[in-house]
Amino acid sequence: MFLNVVFSLSALLTVSGALMVVVTRNLIHSCVFLLMSLLGIVGLYVTLNADFVAATQLVVYVGGVIVLMLFAVMLTGGNNTKEVLSRFGFESLPLMGNVKTYFWGILSAITMMSVAGNLIYRVAQSSLASVLEQYKSSVDEIGTKLLTDHVLSFEISSILLLGALVGAAIIARPLGSKQLNEEK
Amino acid sequence: MTPPNFDVYLPVALLMGMAVAMVVGALLFGKLLRPNKPSFLKQSAYECGEQPVGVAWSYFNVRFYVVALIFIIFDVESALMFPVAVVYRRFSELGAGASVFFSVLIFIGVLVVGTIYCWSKGDLDWVRSFTISKDNYHQGREQ
Amino acid sequence: MNQTIVSYLSELFAVNFSPWVVILIFFVAVFVVVNVMALIGGLATYAERKISADLQMRIGPNRVGPYGLLQFLADGVKMITKEDTIPRDADKFIFALAPLLCLLGVLATLAVLPFSSGLTLTDLNIGIFYLLGVSSLVGVGIFLGGYASNSKWAMLGGMRGAAQIISYEIPVTITILSIVLISGSLSLNQVVERQGAFPNGWLLFHNPFSFIGFFIYFIGALAETNRAPFDLPEAESELVSGYHTEYSGMRFAFFALAEYIEVFVVCAVATAFFLGGYKIPFNYGAGTLLGQALQVAMFFAKTFALYYVVIWIRWTLPRLRVDHLMTICWKYLTPIALFNLVGIAMWVWLFNGRSLYMIIKQALVISGK
Repeated sequence: MFLNVVFSLSALLTVSGALMVVVTRNLIHSCVFLLMSLLGIVGLYVTLNADFVAATQLVVYVGGVIVLMLFAVMLTGGNNTKEVLSRFGFESLPLMGNVKTYFWGILSAITMMSVAGNLIYRVAQSSLASVLEQYKSSVDEIGTKLLTDHVLSFEISSILLLGALVGAAIIARPLGSKQLNEEK
Repeated sequence: MTPPNFDVYLPVALLMGMAVAMVVGALLFGKLLRPNKPSFLKQSAYECGEQPVGVAWSYFNVRFYVVALIFIIFDVESALMFPVAVVYRRFSELGAGASVFFSVLIFIGVLVVGTIYCWSKGDLDWVRSFTISKDNYHQGREQ
Repeated sequence: MNQTIVSYLSELFAVNFSPWVVILIFFVAVFVVVNVMALIGGLATYAERKISADLQMRIGPNRVGPYGLLQFLADGVKMITKEDTIPRDADKFIFALAPLLCLLGVLATLAVLPFSSGLTLTDLNIGIFYLLGVSSLVGVGIFLGGYASNSKWAMLGGMRGAAQIISYEIPVTITILSIVLISGSLSLNQVVERQGAFPNGWLLFHNPFSFIGFFIYFIGALAETNRAPFDLPEAESELVSGYHTEYSGMRFAFFALAEYIEVFVVCAVATAFFLGGYKIPFNYGAGTLLGQALQVAMFFAKTFALYYVVIWIRWTLPRLRVDHLMTICWKYLTPIALFNLVGIAMWVWLFNGRSLYMIIKQALVISGK
């Protein structure tokens, strides 16, 4: 009984949050609704017995990514919602604007859904459910796997993070004097 | 699959509900007690006695964004380290301590290298230090 | 592991509760905890004024009630009867949401605090990780509060506050990681169980790295709660109260309550991780309700001692400039925290996780034979 309640609440939170992200005109409101949507995903992870992943989602996404997006919105001038693409017809809805965009969007969504659905179908065919039952505490299992079976992925992820760090630092750096002279 | 035991998360949900109830309840209760006479001056933003001019949002410095980016990198790194830290002691008691220690050392070491790079290039400074060199000496003088 | 207060009570009284009774007991326990925390938050404002008065050689509030104890009630009545002005151009939805987010982030952390071995509200497997995640909602709340007020002071205070909170989360998280290396579990109750009652059993004196780690954690946690000397976002003389400039009355009371309760939570985590939590000497009265009560009293005593130190620090040290703040975090605390992490990893590997005291004791016993 609890499972259904928690699942429906989390799913409702996720989907309505995601819808409001694209519908509101105010950019900061979009970020707040994104926060709501990510909290819904935390609930969904909890229903799947993946408590560690839920907490990681909370720490990394809610704590980091939302703050990053809020800073980015503030950095790029706040909320200039005076511009609407066109005043009449389908394109006046504050969603994405263009009929062409909708066409390509729906086409790519159908393609991705069929590919993802195929993969999930193959995975669900195997008897994964019986293996998952033995996981009493997901943190221990994840830790053990990270140190034994997937230690290479663990180390490579640190190199990935190194790349992200250096890339972020370089992108956010102000132009050096050499580049300024070249532009002149 | 056995459904998870939701009893453990019940206090969390109850605490969040109680926080919302506290805020909403206190504000509604206060509505009965407090005056409500809005005036033009009362609703203007506080500017130490002057009238506020212009919008509050303006273009802010990029240093906030850099701090948030570096924070996310370190946050993801610590989130990846948490499961490793939980089973670390068990591994060292079983005798595999050396391999686990060097895994952790390599993981942290790679990130320390990145941090040293950012530090030396001045990305961790809140105020970017501008050293006058031969290139930009004349730039400074022109302005 | 994964025990709750209800499962403890059902073990104690040997009764199996039906689901509705479970919800009722949880509700009563949560209600009691929230009220006690709100009371502690209110008394903390009174304690802060009294202690600051003591440090500045004056008396402080002493009119309302005996020794001025009811001062916080008078403040509460004042705040509730104040007019609720919302600035004209403010974002009403977010203006109302920001104090709610702060309070939500702080109250949700109360679920995993280890008050005693049985009376923890819920002993999650991922206790401390959940606590770190939920307390980052406070940073978002501060930013939104600064943004929604549509005032330059508030905006700047909000951005600085959010930058400060996310920066100092890193040394705090890395120090907690290094303690988890020793204790082998993320659940706060397990971390406390790993320690002993006397100082030689505390994780503070486990090895020199964790000793330094305590101070790193304490400084980082002070900065996370925007307490002086790190209170630039709410700086009284610079930004006219920073991100809560435009908040008045009850909304401001929520921000202040969230801050004081967060300081309590941070001190509670420090006692659980470093100072032996609720452990009483000789495990007196284990398994009885008297033992539980003694454990709760010990936990609160240690936490209040740390709270006193926090208030003491506020009224002793001057405020830090914002670039000094960031420099301390990224150039001093984070490298030291990383060094501690590697050091504790090496210690647990080489000495099999024994504390310094145990090693010296075993060495003396061996040499004595």
